[in-house]
Amino acid sequence: MNLDTIVGYLNNMFASLPRTEQMHKLKQELLGNMEEKYHELKDDGKSENEAVGIVISEFGNIDELISELGIGEVRKEELVPMLTEMETEEFIAAKRRSGLLIGLGTGLLMVGAGLLILIASLGENGFMSSVFSEDAMSMIGLGFLLVLLVPAIAMFIYSGMQMEKYKYLESGFHLPYHLKADIQQRQSGFAATYMLSLITGVCLIVLSPIAIFVASAFGEESASYGVVVLLAIVAVAVFLFVYYGNIRGAYQMLLKTGDFSKEKKEEDRVIGAVASIVWPLVTCVFLVSGFVYDQWHINWIVFPVTGILFGVFSSAYNILKGKDAA
Amino acid sequence: MISSDVIRGYNDTMILYMLLDGESYGYEISKNIRRLSEEKYIMKETTLYSAFTRLEKNGYIDSFYLDETFGKRRTYYRITPQGLAYYRAKCEEWQVTQEVINKFIKEL
Repeated sequence: MNLDTIVGYLNNMFASLPRTEQMHKLKQELLGNMEEKYHELKDDGKSENEAVGIVISEFGNIDELISELGIGEVRKEELVPMLTEMETEEFIAAKRRSGLLIGLGTGLLMVGAGLLILIASLGENGFMSSVFSEDAMSMIGLGFLLVLLVPAIAMFIYSGMQMEKYKYLESGFHLPYHLKADIQQRQSGFAATYMLSLITGVCLIVLSPIAIFVASAFGEESASYGVVVLLAIVAVAVFLFVYYGNIRGAYQMLLKTGDFSKEKKEEDRVIGAVASIVWPLVTCVFLVSGFVYDQWHINWIVFPVTGILFGVFSSAYNILKGKDAA
Repeated sequence: MISSDVIRGYNDTMILYMLLDGESYGYEISKNIRRLSEEKYIMKETTLYSAFTRLEKNGYIDSFYLDETFGKRRTYYRITPQGLAYYRAKCEEWQVTQEVINKFIKEL
């Protein structure tokens, strides 16, 4: 609690007002008075906290100034909404839910792919061969994949629709000072969780081929069961990326007030898009190279390679973009 | 502490009074108001500056910059002849107001 608190308070008060020369002068003028009052209070033996408290409590109501200056009619388009605590809470919750849905959806797709391989290999190995032919088993596997595809797509669409009502945030908003401080605190509390989820995810993916090695040890045919386990592990990792990435995205979005730049918005979108496009795509490559070209023995390499590349990409992207913004 | 509702119509008068003896700036005016009222009335920052805006718009005061010793620039205000006339009118108005209100005040 010091002069910065006063500056922050004043900035916040003026945040929703048009940035005109007149406003700037007025703000400087008010700041000058408040600073002087603060120093005098300190000289009178008040503590920093007390002085800041008194100065802020004697600021008054910004609406009084606004109505006197007649800003209401001028440049309405510059006035962007001031978010309330309820709105930010709802947004964070919605983003979390959307992360859960997209993460689960992507996970379902990979589990579907795993089931396809599992059932197809079971067929190959003669499981239930008295009832179903090998081809029939492949078809059943494909059926499972399609059945899982439907809820996954439903989840994608539903979460997209849910996020639609927060579209307005993209055209700018203001965050009251106390909310900003609160969210900043929560974000830094969340940073460790996010790091852990990212490290866990990348480790899972890098280590996932072990499943294939272990399965191969039991014989040539069982290698494909290892592939199924590998896919399951990758599905968990991708879920971690998407879910925690979304929560992080919510905090970043809300804290972007002030420098609400295009690049920043792009950054989240790029990393999010890469995660939800690259992983299903890699799974496709994996399945095609396996089923069509029969490369099961080596094609699992795409997962650890993509995992490492993804890790490198997102941190490099963050660093590069961070540097640009600074 | 006086509620700002009661005093609202006389914020301008108080500020003009403070300028009768010469130019002054925001914080000095609010500090003097506080002192003269014996801490019973503290004019809020926003009240002070909306009054400045209104008074200047009506031509009752005008403003100019003055550079302070340590390089800071401050806006100073001074009362205009119209402002003085307005102040006198407000003083008369207050006399009447006071007389009227006093008729409805008694100790119980």
